[in-house]
Amino acid sequence: MEEPQLIAGLRAKDRKTIEYLYDKYSKALFTVISRIIIDKDIAEEVFHDAFIKITRKIDSYEESKGRLYTWMSNICRNAAIDRTRSKEFSNSSKTNTIDDYVYGLESASGTSDLVDAIGVKELLDDLNEEQRFMVECIYFKGYTHSEVSEEFDIPLGTVKSRIRAAINVLKKNLGKI
Amino acid sequence: MDIQAYISSGKLELFLLGELGEREREEVVRMAKKYPEIQKELDQLQDAFLEIDQKSGIAPSDSVKNKIFKTLEADLVKEVKSPVREVSPAKVIPMQPWKTYFAAACIAAVLATFAAIYYANQYFDIDQKFTALVQEQSVLAEELNQYKVNFEKTDVQLETLLAGNFEKVSMKGDGFEIEKDALVDVWWDKGANSVFVSVNNLSSLEDQYDYQLWAIGDQGPVGIGLVNADQKFSLQQMEAVASAGTFAITIEPKGGSQSPTLEKLVVIGNVG
Repeated sequence: MEEPQLIAGLRAKDRKTIEYLYDKYSKALFTVISRIIIDKDIAEEVFHDAFIKITRKIDSYEESKGRLYTWMSNICRNAAIDRTRSKEFSNSSKTNTIDDYVYGLESASGTSDLVDAIGVKELLDDLNEEQRFMVECIYFKGYTHSEVSEEFDIPLGTVKSRIRAAINVLKKNLGKI
Repeated sequence: MDIQAYISSGKLELFLLGELGEREREEVVRMAKKYPEIQKELDQLQDAFLEIDQKSGIAPSDSVKNKIFKTLEADLVKEVKSPVREVSPAKVIPMQPWKTYFAAACIAAVLATFAAIYYANQYFDIDQKFTALVQEQSVLAEELNQYKVNFEKTDVQLETLLAGNFEKVSMKGDGFEIEKDALVDVWWDKGANSVFVSVNNLSSLEDQYDYQLWAIGDQGPVGIGLVNADQKFSLQQMEAVASAGTFAITIEPKGGSQSPTLEKLVVIGNVG
């Protein structure tokens, strides 16, 4: 299904289109959330709410501001960040780290998902210390770049270029998986 | 503009992560439109972001999907539906705002047209009724006027009869062949010399004839006026008469004659 067709179907609240969307993107979107939230039950709860929000707010999506997936992943990311900052969450859980995540995936997933978990390790290969730190902050802790800059006293421009460098490494590593 | 520097600034990554403010976001959209290289970089980054997310995690449990679609149940367009309902959302969505206004304007125009026709009909109806009422009113006014004239006339006659010293002379037709049941009364005030006639029963004449009243005294019959047979039970004033022993009516050619046509004597009555 092409993206314009997909968007039109979502706007029409067509069940088959939403099912297609779910099948195609649920794993990626859930990953965005579960990187930030370790607890699978809470992550699924957040994902449930975020996915509902995506289908209901589809009219506020603007094609000019990026692809549908980019918009959806930001909704999921923000939902997850909001959850980690809520009162009940900060009392019961701690925020994620790359190691927690990889370890968590390896122990939580069945054999079929193990391949993906190994993929994560390879994906994160070759990141230097700085880049690894950026990926952890942005992807796993859900920090914004200005929060990283403030909290760790790194100039904003440096944060930006390190994020870019880190993503470049991830891009290259995608070929290895 | 150094496109490479713009690309490597890291701004595009932040744009895709949704971390830029409104103005910077618009700037990136504008730059991507203007410079294909920037758009290309954005496309590659979006591909990479999706791929990273696809390949580095696990899928949610199957139960999540069921739960989501249960929650969405009310939102979703039903599978079994009429073709009209299936088509209508797709039709509505591409509608531009002006089309909505246009449709609203059309509806307003149609409503206004119906309202105009309705009120025009109402107006026409009322106008007709009003005209009819005006006509009726003028007829009534005319009738009223007629009654008023009649009343005044009758009033004057009554007053005349009451004020004067009238002697009633009944003229009958039973002595003649022409109208045996004819009956006409003469009212005569000898003091004032005035004479009135009231028709009790008298046949109508053809147009070329008139009834003429004669006062017959010492000088022979004198014509004192024409009698209208149709004006029954009302006083018709005749010419003044000083002395008469007999009153009679004959049928004469239209306008009356100098002397009575005795063959056509209709009624006769003697005074006292």
